Amino acid sequence: MNNILKSFDPSDDNLLIGGVNLLSRLFVGTGKFSSHEIVPRVLKASGSQVVTMALRRVDWKNPQENILNYLPSNTILLPNTSGARTADEAVRIAHLAQAAGCGNWVKIEVVQDQRYLLPDNWETLKATEQLVKEGFVVLPYMSPDLGAARRLQDAGAAAIMPLGSPIGSNRGLQTKELIRILIEEISLPIIVDAGIGRPSEAAEAMEMGAAAVLVNTAIATAGDPVFMAQAFRLAVTAGRLGYLAGPGERRIEAEASSPLTGFLQEV
Amino acid sequence: MQIIVNGEALEIPPECTVFQLLHDQAVSLKASVVELNGKILKQEHWQSASLQASDRLEILVFMGGG
Repeated sequence: MNNILKSFDPSDDNLLIGGVNLLSRLFVGTGKFSSHEIVPRVLKASGSQVVTMALRRVDWKNPQENILNYLPSNTILLPNTSGARTADEAVRIAHLAQAAGCGNWVKIEVVQDQRYLLPDNWETLKATEQLVKEGFVVLPYMSPDLGAARRLQDAGAAAIMPLGSPIGSNRGLQTKELIRILIEEISLPIIVDAGIGRPSEAAEAMEMGAAAVLVNTAIATAGDPVFMAQAFRLAVTAGRLGYLAGPGERRIEAEASSPLTGFLQEV
Repeated sequence: MQIIVNGEALEIPPECTVFQLLHDQAVSLKASVVELNGKILKQEHWQSASLQASDRLEILVFMGGG
């Protein structure tokens, strides 16, 4: 396997976002891990350079150590605006994250629906417009919709992050056809976020031409998160290589792989 | 003197600064962020920011998230 991977040099295939050339197309979320201590090992195994986290009120009675203390210093921090129900709340969280020294990347996440945690594309667009004007590198999490994606692109988003299925559901690419259309029609990088539950699903998204995937729950809740992080790393590389290689045509009927002449029974 | 911290009432000594409050409550100062009465208070002002009765303070840190 190593010989096959050696012939593909990922350093020739960078993903450019916000002026940064990323070697890894796997973004990793830091929620739901059993302890902070495992996070550095997971990140190392994943090879990820972009990592998400959330901003929350300090709990006086049960102070937890800051997750930033567990991230390698060269990590690109992608704070999310989870908890925001409106564009104004998302903008406020982005300002706070920046003031906390998180740089200028932000994943916009505006959700009112508490059952499926589906994003509100309208409020997401308003927050994107505002934060792009302020100089943020904005990556909006969105429900895959071509019209909304075009508006986010026009607003200056750095990438579009459609969901594969509801956050934390591990149900894979339920929105596959809509994501395919976004990949085809939108010139920005499409990063599939939310719902990817298995390495094969990450590979599938990459084979379709997704620029990257963001994975959290599938790694954090795996029996062995470090092995799973490595599995996702390989799956993302494999899927990307499959996309670049250009898959062959699909057919309804068989087309023999072996020659159809020279059979033994021929007289 | 009473202020509101993260939505809850908290009794603090007079002339307490934001820095002192965070220090007393053993909040990790690195990468914490503070909003005083709806406005972000930069870390370089924490030592000089004296709290007044009824001030509303939000103290936030980064946690795991996707």
